[in-house]
Amino acid sequence: MRGRDYLGEFEHVVLLAVLRLGDQAYGVTVRREIEARTKREVSIGAIYATLDRLEAKGYMQSRPGDPTPERGGRSKRFFRVTAQGVSAVNRTHRALHSLTEGLDILRSHS
Amino acid sequence: MTRAALRTHPPRLAAWLVDVFASAEQAESILGDLHEEFSDIVSDSGVVPARRWYWRHGVKTIFDLASATLWGAPWPLAGIVLLGFLLRWLSATLPERVIVAILRMQRPYSNLHYGLYVWLVTNGIPIVAVVQTMFIGSIVAILAKGRELLATVILGIVFAAPLGSPLFLLFVPRLAVGVIATVLAGVIVRMCRSSEASRLRVDPQHDELN
Repeated sequence: MRGRDYLGEFEHVVLLAVLRLGDQAYGVTVRREIEARTKREVSIGAIYATLDRLEAKGYMQSRPGDPTPERGGRSKRFFRVTAQGVSAVNRTHRALHSLTEGLDILRSHS
Repeated sequence: MTRAALRTHPPRLAAWLVDVFASAEQAESILGDLHEEFSDIVSDSGVVPARRWYWRHGVKTIFDLASATLWGAPWPLAGIVLLGFLLRWLSATLPERVIVAILRMQRPYSNLHYGLYVWLVTNGIPIVAVVQTMFIGSIVAILAKGRELLATVILGIVFAAPLGSPLFLLFVPRLAVGVIATVLAGVIVRMCRSSEASRLRVDPQHDELN
């Protein structure tokens, strides 16, 4: 049932990165945000495969930008999270919170 | 373009491979993003690290897009590849039948066209086989919209599978040509779609006017 869908781990990461970037979310900035915050190297292909999947689920919307010379005359594709996407993030956070609540393992690592 | 100017551009082969493996809709933004990061690395660290970065990320991008397609919607892709395999299997004797029909029609051996007869017997069947394989590859690529090259590469692997190892293709030129023709058909269909997508981007009102 769609209303109970939870985000996959990388979907979750990508959605949060797009939310953090606001109006400036496109392939390069999303990739750099994820690398800076998770110290994990990801390819542009992995980002687009996930963004397209999230768009197909209705969690993301995209719009084309203008072509620029530093991009070889190619245009950017800007992304923004939809209300459905925000609900999916909240749902996933609630589920993770409920699973981790009361676990000693978190206290011992803080 | 001078050699120095060429070197400050991303590696052409890597960019071309990303272009044909991505869907026509994805290619514009993915190649633009790779180019933007390449330009930043050229400014910060120089051309050689930038080109190395581009190749590494280009190959990873192709792998990630292919695996997302394979695991995201495996059954439609499997169906299309199976259709290509069945078409090839059902038309396996077509090249021989076409050449025999031409020979019967023209009777070149009964007149002065003896040279044509010899040429058709020796080269005609392989040529018709290549055209047949490219035709099947084109059908598969047209049906696999957005995953043209992945579908034709898988079909090529399926055609080569009876040999056990791709290395055996070196010893079976006819089969190797068939595999190359299949993938080439995918590249042609993908590039046609790419040029159509660029034309629509340049002239978005074209469809409305027609």
